[in-house]
Order: sequence, then C-alpha cells, then structure tokens
Amino acid sequence: MGNGMRALVGLFLPPACREEVLGDLHERNATLARFCIDAIRTVPHVIASRIRRTADPQLLLLHAIALYLCYYAATWFEARALLRETWGLARPAIPALLVLLVLLLEDAYAKPGSRSRLQLTRGPLIAFVGVFLAQSLPPKLVLFGGALGLPLTLVLRLFFSPQSTSRQGPV
Amino acid sequence: MAKPDSIGQFEQLVLTAILTRRDDAYGVSIHSKVEELARPKTVSLGAVYVTLDRLEDKGLVKSWLSDPTPERGGRAKRCYRLEALGERALEESAVTAKRVWDGIAEVWGKEWVKQWSKRWVTE
Repeated sequence: MGNGMRALVGLFLPPACREEVLGDLHERNATLARFCIDAIRTVPHVIASRIRRTADPQLLLLHAIALYLCYYAATWFEARALLRETWGLARPAIPALLVLLVLLLEDAYAKPGSRSRLQLTRGPLIAFVGVFLAQSLPPKLVLFGGALGLPLTLVLRLFFSPQSTSRQGPV
Repeated sequence: MAKPDSIGQFEQLVLTAILTRRDDAYGVSIHSKVEELARPKTVSLGAVYVTLDRLEDKGLVKSWLSDPTPERGGRAKRCYRLEALGERALEESAVTAKRVWDGIAEVWGKEWVKQWSKRWVTE
C-alpha cells in the first residue's frame, strides 16, 4: 500500500520535479501517514511553482484573446440572442478559459526536454475535446468555436513554443 | 557582472541555507536550515521549493540531480549551489541587514542591543 500511495503522489507531481520531491518526502517521513500529510501540504506548492515557471503571460494573453474572439464569433453567427442575455458576453469566455487551463497544465506536466511539433499539438487537442465534453455552450457553438480556435491555437503554439523546458536545471 | 535584483527575506534565508550547507544543499537539508534560521516561525517544504525555483529562474542558484540513494527510496536528490550573482545578492542583503541593525541600535541604545542579543541566543 505504501508503494501504491507513493506512486499516486508521484502522479500528481510534474515529471520535471517528481524524482527529487518524492525522494525528499520519502527521506523526511518514516511512516506512510506522515508521508501523506507532508505530501498534501507540499504537492500543491510544487504544482503551482511549476505552472509559474512554464507559463508565458504574454503568450497566454494572446491565446486568451484569440480563443475568446473565436467563441464570440461562433456565438455571434449562430446564437446572437445568447450575447444579449445577462452575462451573455461572459459565456464565450468559459470555453476559452477551459482551453487555457488545459494548456497551462499540459505545459507544466510536460517532460523536460524539447518537444516535437506532434507533442505540442497534444495540449490543444485535449483542450478542445474537454471543452466539447464540458458543454459550457450549446454543442453547435462549441463545435464552431473549436473549428475556429483549434487551428489558431495550434499555429500559436507551433510558432511560439512554450518554455516548458527552458528553466529547469540540468538533469 | 550583472547587478542582482533585490531579494526578499525568505529568499535571503534560503540562499544562506544553501551557502552554509555547502556540498550537501538539497531540498530536505535546505529546509531544515531555513527552519533553524527562521525560528520560532515554522517553514513549509513547499515554500522552500517555490523559492528555490524562483532563485534558479533569477540566476542566483544552479541545480543538478545527484545519484540516487537508498535512504530516499532509490531516488536522486536535486542539489543546489550559489552562483556568483547569488553570492553577490546575499552579500548586499547582509550589508543592508547590518545597516538596519546599526540604525536601530543607534536609536534604542546599547542596552537594548545586549538584551535583544541574549533573547536571540536563547530562542
């Protein structure tokens, strides 16, 4: 059970820092219970720090604007009345934020080392499938917005590669 | 050489811990030294990791993975050392701290300094 718990904690840790954090937690904690408590206190900080290191604020802003405009355009052409409702302008922001969150996490959890073009496309694909499943907007709007947003996101990611690997110390 | 950015108090503690641990500066040892320096305040391991990452991004420290060891469940440790910029940042912060101390001592007097030093040693 101890190894299973340690493996579970390892799954939550980004690969770039999994080795040393698991090792430190193992060294500090003689019992499984203490290991779990220490992990609960430590892992969120590690994840947040990794996200901070891998996120590029300017690129994120570019993605956010592009994605919002794509879903706004989809809503404008297919269901304009939605935009006139209370908080109507905020609704296209929901799928955009979901995509951004997936991209952030995907970069944070990417393995250290340069990523191929194919690997860079994984994040946007997962994100848009996730948005479709979340159904934050009617399906037709999600599909239309995704059809606009996915190519744009892929192009942005391929031309402005995320800095997932640039700052971690030598392995 | 580039001028280092000013560093916060917690960053000073972490840099001092790395300096004092010499060749044995890694997550657990740095954390225990930072706790010793920050007493009676408690310090979380997560806060130390966040600060180490930030210091590395600023170019003040450098890290590498060492060999795995059995007491760590066969896992490697990430070791740290100060870069020249980090040493300079620590020097400057120590000079500033000394000036602050001297400024306070000038106003509150030598008797206060003696009492404070005694309290510091016993805590």
